[in-house]
Amino acid sequence: MSPSVEPIISIDHVSRFYRRGIDEIHALDSVSLTVQPGRFVAFMGPSGSGKSTLLNLVSGIDRPSSGEVIVAGQRLNDLDEDELAGWRARHVGLIFQFFNLMPVLNAVDNVALPLLLTKLSKRERLERAEIALRIVGLEDRIDHYPSTLSGGEQQRVAIARAIVTDPDLIVADEPTGDLDARNAEAILNLMRQLKNEFGKTIVMVTHDPRALRFVDEAFHLDKGLLLEGEEAARAHESIVIAAGGGSVRNR
Amino acid sequence: MLPLSYSIRNVRARPARTAMTASVIALVVVACSLFLGLISSLKHTLISTGDPLNLIIMRKGSDNDGSSILQKEAFEAIRYFDGIARDTADNPLVSPELVVQPFFRTRDGGRENVLVRGVEAVALAVHSNVHITAGRMINPSSSEAIVGKGVLGRYEGGELGSDLKFGRGTWKVVGIFDADGSSFESEVWVDVRELANDAKRTMPYSGIRMRAASAAQIEPLKQRIEADPKYALQAQSEVEYYSKQSESANSLYVLVIGIAILAGIGAGFGAANTMYAAVQARTAEIGTLRALGFSRLAILTSFQIEAIGLALVGFVMGAVATVGLAALLRLWLGGLAFGAATFTTNVVTLRVGPRDLISSFILSIAIGLVAGLGPAWRAARMRPVEALRKA
Amino acid sequence: MKYAGLILANLGRNKLRSLLTGGAIMLAVLLVVLLLTMPAGLDAFLDQIANNTRISVHNKAGIVYSMPFSFTRKVRQIDGVAAACATVWFGGAFEEEGRVTFPSFAIEAEHAAAVWPDYNIDPKQMADFLRYRDGAIVGRQNMQKYKWKIGDRVTLKSTIYGVNLDFRIVGEMPNDRSPLFWMQRTYLDEAVKAKRGTGLSMAGVIWVRVDDPNRVNAVMRQVDEMSRNSEAETASETEKSFFGNFFGSLQGFVTIILIVTGLVSLCIVFIAANTASMAVRERSGEIAVLKAIGFQRKTIFATLLAEAMLVASVAGLSGVVLAIAVTKMLRAFAGWNPSLGPLGAFIVTPTVIAQGVCLSLVVGLFAGLVPAFGAARKPVIEALREIF
Repeated sequence: MSPSVEPIISIDHVSRFYRRGIDEIHALDSVSLTVQPGRFVAFMGPSGSGKSTLLNLVSGIDRPSSGEVIVAGQRLNDLDEDELAGWRARHVGLIFQFFNLMPVLNAVDNVALPLLLTKLSKRERLERAEIALRIVGLEDRIDHYPSTLSGGEQQRVAIARAIVTDPDLIVADEPTGDLDARNAEAILNLMRQLKNEFGKTIVMVTHDPRALRFVDEAFHLDKGLLLEGEEAARAHESIVIAAGGGSVRNR
Repeated sequence: MLPLSYSIRNVRARPARTAMTASVIALVVVACSLFLGLISSLKHTLISTGDPLNLIIMRKGSDNDGSSILQKEAFEAIRYFDGIARDTADNPLVSPELVVQPFFRTRDGGRENVLVRGVEAVALAVHSNVHITAGRMINPSSSEAIVGKGVLGRYEGGELGSDLKFGRGTWKVVGIFDADGSSFESEVWVDVRELANDAKRTMPYSGIRMRAASAAQIEPLKQRIEADPKYALQAQSEVEYYSKQSESANSLYVLVIGIAILAGIGAGFGAANTMYAAVQARTAEIGTLRALGFSRLAILTSFQIEAIGLALVGFVMGAVATVGLAALLRLWLGGLAFGAATFTTNVVTLRVGPRDLISSFILSIAIGLVAGLGPAWRAARMRPVEALRKA
Repeated sequence: MKYAGLILANLGRNKLRSLLTGGAIMLAVLLVVLLLTMPAGLDAFLDQIANNTRISVHNKAGIVYSMPFSFTRKVRQIDGVAAACATVWFGGAFEEEGRVTFPSFAIEAEHAAAVWPDYNIDPKQMADFLRYRDGAIVGRQNMQKYKWKIGDRVTLKSTIYGVNLDFRIVGEMPNDRSPLFWMQRTYLDEAVKAKRGTGLSMAGVIWVRVDDPNRVNAVMRQVDEMSRNSEAETASETEKSFFGNFFGSLQGFVTIILIVTGLVSLCIVFIAANTASMAVRERSGEIAVLKAIGFQRKTIFATLLAEAMLVASVAGLSGVVLAIAVTKMLRAFAGWNPSLGPLGAFIVTPTVIAQGVCLSLVVGLFAGLVPAFGAARKPVIEALREIF
């Protein structure tokens, strides 16, 4: 960690509350963290821990109730729904647990979808989408529709869609959650490769212990709080044991 | 068999979509019943004018009493034939009449041809469905008129006690009559001799109406009248005469049936859409039912019942709306005017009768049946394994 | 339109649904256009005769109250009258049917060309009309309907005068919608004289052409003044007003037609809106993903709306085209119907076409608006929660 570099993600005392009926749910409670550019980090924790909420805040899908979120030099608190959408289109690539491809579009059109929001010509859009598909190793599946692809292949298409705009930040929500062991490892490998070869910053929510072997850093959350010190170490250890050992630095 | 409540519950499960589809069917029902009602009202008006015991006598070759001309002698010659009904004073029920179609000014500034019938007092006895509901019958030679209730209020001066201007003269309205919704209600009756003078007719009558003593007398009377070589008369039963006059409404029927079929198919498409969506949304459910052992027929029947149920709801909504709308239209438009083949105005009261509603009912059930068939078949054809996998 | 591919792909997602919706809209637009042709036929008919300078002179009391034939000559002497022609309703019917199937008139043949120059009757045929006393000039609608040609012979029975007359068709009015049948007044006069001793002494309507449009009112006034206190006082009116009054009684029917048209239009909106909302609901997950990857609300809104509009307008246009074809058939089948008058002309005027096209666009707009708005408005976080 070299403190001279500006962090790409800076979360400062961020809280997020929801009202559900008369109850107020504290999804996140005064969380602060920073992520440096070019790192592959994971948000981990049991369900309800607030890890997905945190991810939504980082990717500009949701806004905090209080605190400050700065991503890629932009203070997201200030943007409205449409400005956020435009910001996401330029700066964030999203990967979902259930791939969420458009069933009516083939692979290359799915990948080219975010490029519709740019000024690129149709030819340029297709060229870039093909390059992205080549990077994820699916150059021979260009005109396949999602329904004819395996789960692993669909997630690769989704990853291609996430990187096609060359975003500053790639955000993945349980990207291996719906895949078998072999495909899960392949996807994690691919993400690691994106970090190494293209210098992408990747933030991932997961409860897959295998992920620890691939990420640079893991943040542990529980009940809306970011775990620190001993608590974090304990959480980390239990996951490492579940994964059968690993070599990941803990925070 | 799946219980009926399953279908009912499903129809109620998606209230917005059900309401939308039922509304489409309802609108088609309203459109069709309204049109059918309009035409059957018109037909009723024309046909009910005829009395089964009455004969209409015209000059041979005439197709309506507006174009027939008869001499006084012709009337005298047949007046006392046997087989004619008599009144209490033993006078034969034979009514010599003259029809003329002068212009009347409508209240909204338009102009219509109204049938004015010149009659004698006996006319009320011959035309048994005509009843004076207010005022009294005209007196001869006093420029008086009685008006049908369809005329009442439609034209300037058409009320009881006011002066009605038509032809060359001015006539005082002394009575109002109704005639069971028949086209007599669109007429104005005056003294036959005065009308002939006003219209400068040298031959006073256009036709003669005659009431037979019994149905059995009709044929012999007809033969005897037509056998007379001197006056070249033709006799026709009133019912036959008016149903022939109403033939011009038949092309309207064809038109409306065409419209109904088109609208029905359109609504069927809409309903089929909803049903297909329902089948699609319930793929897993259908798989479960099939896995539990329900037969294809049971699934098919259930979806078909759902479609017909939807159509029924639509019909009920539509029927209620139609009855309301028809009442509203009667208030708003009053009588609807129709120019018949003879260019006289018939004022028709819009009534949507049970027969019109039954036709619309059949139409909506047909929509439900046909629209449900495709989706129900698709549901029934699903193999349980596939259906479950899609869940 | 870089989003065209996306929109088309979405329409192809459920082809059956797109087809059914399109079909329903097409049929409904067809119906609306067909219904609208009825009042439009009336308007077109009245417009056609609106800008000419022909006036109708008839007895104030009614068309059946005739005028002395000699009055025609007096009318001709009025200043500003270019020509006048007395007509008499013949009430021609085919013997076997005994029912009037088209309007037939006995007219003064020598004045016809001057009163109706706009009928564009071939001068050679007009000359033949004068030459043959049994000559007849027939509207092209009748020629086509009964498959008559020039030179054919036709027998008509008069429901008014009770005479049967044989005619030789010598000419036609070159207008596809003309149901008229003209014969020579002298021919009918002879036949009537032979039958009852006295000939025709009256005229039903005298049609007058005025040479200067500015003098129309003056001429009408003068005609009516001339007949004041005579046996037959006249009422003159322009041709447009005459036919407007004549068909005024169809107004009630027109109202019903318009109501039904409105109902059917409402139907289409419902059907299209139903489909659009189904499409949006089914796709709520995908829409959320689109939003998440950065599509703005207006883009989502526009593509969804465009989808509904595309179906509606393609279907609507097919409906209009179909209507043009159907009216062609109807015209051949229905012809002149005394109970419908010009309502039965089934002419698809440019206005009706425009109305049909507008209707389909409005339907697409209304149908797409609500669901598209709903889908677009939902904040991305709520939409995503449904799919995670």
